[in-house]
Amino acid sequence: MSSPQREGFTAPSSISHAAQGYVASKSLGVKYHCAQCGSSFSLNKTDAIRCKDCGHRVIYKARTKRMVQFEAR
Amino acid sequence: MTTAQFRTLERERRFQNPPKDKSAYPMLEAAVAPHVGSFNQLVENDSNEGLLNMAVKDIGYKTMFDSVDTDRLGNKLRIRVDAVEITKPTIPNNDKLSINQKTLPYECRERMISYKGKLRLKVAYSVNDEPEVTEFRDCGLLPVMLKSNRCHLQNLSPAELIDHREESDELGGYFIVNGIEKLIRMLIVQRRNHAMALIRPSFGNRGPSYSKYGIQIRCVRPDQTSQTNVLHYLNDGNVTFRFSWKKNEYLIPVSMILKALIETNDREIFDGIIGDDLSNSFLTDRLELLLRSYNKTYGLYSKQETLAYLGDKFRIVFDGTPDLSDIEMGKIVLEKIVLVHLNGTATTNMDKFKMILFMIRKLYSLVSGDCSPDNPDATQHQEILLGGFLYGMIVKEKIEEYLNNFKLQVQSDLTRGLKVNFNERKYIARVFQRINENIGQKLQYFLSTGNLVSQSGLDLQQVSGYTVVAEKINFHRFIAHFRMVHRGSFFAELKTTTVRKLLPESWGFLCPVHTPDGSPCGLLNHLSHKCEITTIPSNVSSVPSVLSKLGVMSANTVCAGPSMCCVQLDGKIIGWTTHQQGKVIADTLRYWKVQGQENLPVDLEIGYVPPSNKGQYPGLYLFGGASRMIRPVTYLPTSGTDYLGPFEQVYINVAVTPEEIESNTHSHVEESPTNILSILANLTPFSDFNQSPRNMYQCQMGKQTMGTPGVGLVHRSDNKLYRLQTGQTPIVKANLYDDYGMDNFPNGMNAVVAVISYTGYDMDDAMIINKSADERGFGYGTVYKVEKVDLGMGRRKGEAPTQHFGFGDDDWPEEWQNTLDTDGLPMIGSKVEEGDPIVAYFDDVVGKTKVKTYHSNEPAYIEEVKLLASEVGNEECQQITIKYRVTRQPLIGDKFSSRHGQKGVCSRKWPTTDMPFSETGIQPDVIINPHAFPSRMTIGMFVESLAGKAGALHGIAQDATPWKFNENDTPADYFGDQLLRAGYNYHGNEPMYSGATGEELRADIYIGCVYYQRLRHMVNDKFQVRSTGPVNSLTMQPVKGRKRSGGIRVGEMERDALIGHGTAFLLQDRLLNCSDYTQSSICKRCGSLLSTQNSVAKIGKLSSVRCRSCSTKFSKTSKFVSESEIWEDGQGKKFVGGGDTTTIAIPFVLKYLDSELAAMGIRLRYNVEPK
Repeated sequence: MSSPQREGFTAPSSISHAAQGYVASKSLGVKYHCAQCGSSFSLNKTDAIRCKDCGHRVIYKARTKRMVQFEAR
Repeated sequence: MTTAQFRTLERERRFQNPPKDKSAYPMLEAAVAPHVGSFNQLVENDSNEGLLNMAVKDIGYKTMFDSVDTDRLGNKLRIRVDAVEITKPTIPNNDKLSINQKTLPYECRERMISYKGKLRLKVAYSVNDEPEVTEFRDCGLLPVMLKSNRCHLQNLSPAELIDHREESDELGGYFIVNGIEKLIRMLIVQRRNHAMALIRPSFGNRGPSYSKYGIQIRCVRPDQTSQTNVLHYLNDGNVTFRFSWKKNEYLIPVSMILKALIETNDREIFDGIIGDDLSNSFLTDRLELLLRSYNKTYGLYSKQETLAYLGDKFRIVFDGTPDLSDIEMGKIVLEKIVLVHLNGTATTNMDKFKMILFMIRKLYSLVSGDCSPDNPDATQHQEILLGGFLYGMIVKEKIEEYLNNFKLQVQSDLTRGLKVNFNERKYIARVFQRINENIGQKLQYFLSTGNLVSQSGLDLQQVSGYTVVAEKINFHRFIAHFRMVHRGSFFAELKTTTVRKLLPESWGFLCPVHTPDGSPCGLLNHLSHKCEITTIPSNVSSVPSVLSKLGVMSANTVCAGPSMCCVQLDGKIIGWTTHQQGKVIADTLRYWKVQGQENLPVDLEIGYVPPSNKGQYPGLYLFGGASRMIRPVTYLPTSGTDYLGPFEQVYINVAVTPEEIESNTHSHVEESPTNILSILANLTPFSDFNQSPRNMYQCQMGKQTMGTPGVGLVHRSDNKLYRLQTGQTPIVKANLYDDYGMDNFPNGMNAVVAVISYTGYDMDDAMIINKSADERGFGYGTVYKVEKVDLGMGRRKGEAPTQHFGFGDDDWPEEWQNTLDTDGLPMIGSKVEEGDPIVAYFDDVVGKTKVKTYHSNEPAYIEEVKLLASEVGNEECQQITIKYRVTRQPLIGDKFSSRHGQKGVCSRKWPTTDMPFSETGIQPDVIINPHAFPSRMTIGMFVESLAGKAGALHGIAQDATPWKFNENDTPADYFGDQLLRAGYNYHGNEPMYSGATGEELRADIYIGCVYYQRLRHMVNDKFQVRSTGPVNSLTMQPVKGRKRSGGIRVGEMERDALIGHGTAFLLQDRLLNCSDYTQSSICKRCGSLLSTQNSVAKIGKLSSVRCRSCSTKFSKTSKFVSESEIWEDGQGKKFVGGGDTTTIAIPFVLKYLDSELAAMGIRLRYNVEPK
């Protein structure tokens, strides 16, 4: 069935890592967009929910950079 | 014949470059004009100072004194509201971060807050009549209507609207309350300022000698609030004046009102009512009694005496202050109650006097049968109460309440012995602080619940149901909300159906087709698409002078009765004339107003009621007020546009088509016969070929279609939205379809439809869909659901948040990260199924990371995640909304319909290889059964099929406007010719071949193109199955409800059917085995279900079932009993015997019944056999 948990391909950091099948888990970081001005930024846990540019109060979460894949059936 | 066009390029260009000047669809704006226009009247606008400012003038002063002694008054404080201001919605004052100071509607929708501006009152008060001190008070935030003059979107071009995250043709006319779009329903009320003759049996209930006759007038003040006055006829000939004030009714002899209004005498009253009709003994007798009995009872002769009497009696009711004399009080009563629409001129009291005399004469005419009663259910005597006006009425009442509260607060300070000093600003400020100033909140309550909390009742008949949600299921639904008029929920409970009748008077004002079937039928109507509601009172200032120029005698002439023509303008008697002259005046006025001469407004309603034999009371009644229904028609003498109102229309001959015009009969002709239909009814193609109920069904089903609610769905957070992915423009459409811009919101798709009984799967309104058509996207739809997650729900204001979105440092299952990002929120685009985590948060209190899970058995995709700031806006994230996308491809069991009230359920997706095919190789997308037609007579669907086929073959759009064809020019010929020229059968039939065998079918099949709608009723929201599942813990029977995976009850009627079929085994299965089947132990000896219990197992002996009441208690002293016969209960008590038990199968409720009866001291005993 669906397996969105599989991450996209990331190049192994070294040959030995590759041999062990070890993949450096790179933090993909979550991005957000302002609903008003459209600027993109990241937020910390304790940050107030305001656009960093215009101070708007609605923020959209950006689409994930991880690979999202479904079986087309 | 004008042909319809696809206008594809035009549309695409408009989508790419939205107009920068004005909307391309002025008719859409006109459709909501009653709502927006009425709201615009509230505050200062181009035409006047604003209704609210008029309202506060009408409220006037509240006076209070600071003395507690009874013998002196003390200092006087008078307070009033000088002006009312409403600002456009802005961000809160304490917000210093936002660059944009405006609050825009889209933000309110997304954050689920209200779109409201500040309400500010300019309060003025003076102490001891010194100069007034003014002060601005903030009275909370008042929800404002979109696209009104208090909205940021007013006058924006489509391009700018898109920049403001709205639809390119946003209509406005509604409010946003807690993120939900609400609108105030239009209500039908009695026509203002016109005395209506009524016969109501309930009038007789007012008291002894009250009769069923009455004259009712609904008087409307300039601020649009109303006060109803009624004159009652008493059986002895007397007349009483009735009004209600703060929900209480009061009755006053009419003579008292007359004598209080002006300094008059009996002779003047007598002449004013009778005129020269002295020989009418019916009248003279009653009038003599009216005047004599009043004088005898009250003995009040002068105006001053009468006023003082009235003032004395009504001082308490009208909250009179001690500084007012009785005479002044009496004047106030007259001003607030009697014919309030005539207030505000120098001759007010004289006008009122004259009008009451007129009403008395009309009443006597009604009683004597000289005139007929007026029908309150006819549009002729109705007008529309508009949302904006109602809103203003409520604000007015709340402002008055506010001033009263101020007074009450001062009084309570006095009684509690607090220091009251009017000269001290601090004290005044303290009083303001102590009273509830939040008027905006009360209006928000009104909008969100639709409940009217009012002391006066606002002269309306209902207390709830004033607002509705403007649902955006599709555009049809949405636009229909704004054209909807309701008769009032009071009438919904009425047993009689007379109010629901479709009357010819409604012609052109209310749509005869567009009303729901079922309980609201005929009460919930829709305005015809060309019907307008006036929102601004017309300028009628020139009318009196024009009338006198035309020879109308002044109102002061001694004239009365139906033998003369009374000329009234908005409920004020202007003068008298003869009936012959009246007709001439009416015609002249009409000619002049259409020509624009003499400064007459074109929407002036000239209701000339000719003299008749016991018909409507004659006269010339002119109306220019707001809230009237008007509609454009062509005036034949000048070919100009005249606006007709429902009052005058009854006496005007309007030809429906130009061909119909007869000289000397018709004065008007309809601009188009389709003007009588509502917007939606107009969109039904060839509706003139259908049986009329089918057109009604289509109006309902068009509103339930899964279509296109809008384009800016990204910026909406509706709980549930339906969207059709593959919408198309219909090939067959009325020309109005484009005028209303329906292509911006497609509502269905064109399908090749064969009318054939093919596989049997099209029985009984089922339809077969071509599987390949389905795979190409026919009818593919999506449902968007929004869930709000608020972590601050249980938290009090000011407390620090205890739950935080995101993962904590504790241990939590790794798989949560499959759908959740590091911020604890779901990844956009990921798929969620039941039980999957949708949001993770860390709870400070328990120090654990928790998740909320997805609750729906349907898988969905995360479409959007929005982080919402709180009102203060400096806190961390506490609120989010998640939008799910649920894919809904057509399934077996989903509902579809054509535009002719022909609904059906998809019964199969038939493989395209097995579908029948025509000689050109065309296979139908949809197969329907021919049996759907004979009884329903939806010939329009055949015509549409034919027209659609011809249109598709030639690549043209077809006009489907009703009443374009006639007997000599039939659509069958028109479209048949087109088909013939494309090389097809003239009649639309084609030879077809079986898809399975390839053999030619014996009959030619009617095949063509029909526009199909997918309705929002889908199996996925409806199916209910259960084998085992949750049960009720008390009865052990299955629970009910689809949501709880419960069962469907096999009720008494179903049981009867099963009995009738003799299917006992099935019955046993349904009623027992699949319900509360239980095995229970019973004592065979005593026959009790309740006394059995399990004994405790011992070494060498298993637990057995024993009857406790049949066993005897074992004690050491009793006679010897073998150890093996002793059994023990759970508490260590020992018993002997009671082993004669067995197990039986019973329904569990029997056991429950037994125990309930046992509690009442009734024992049930069962005979168990075999023993």
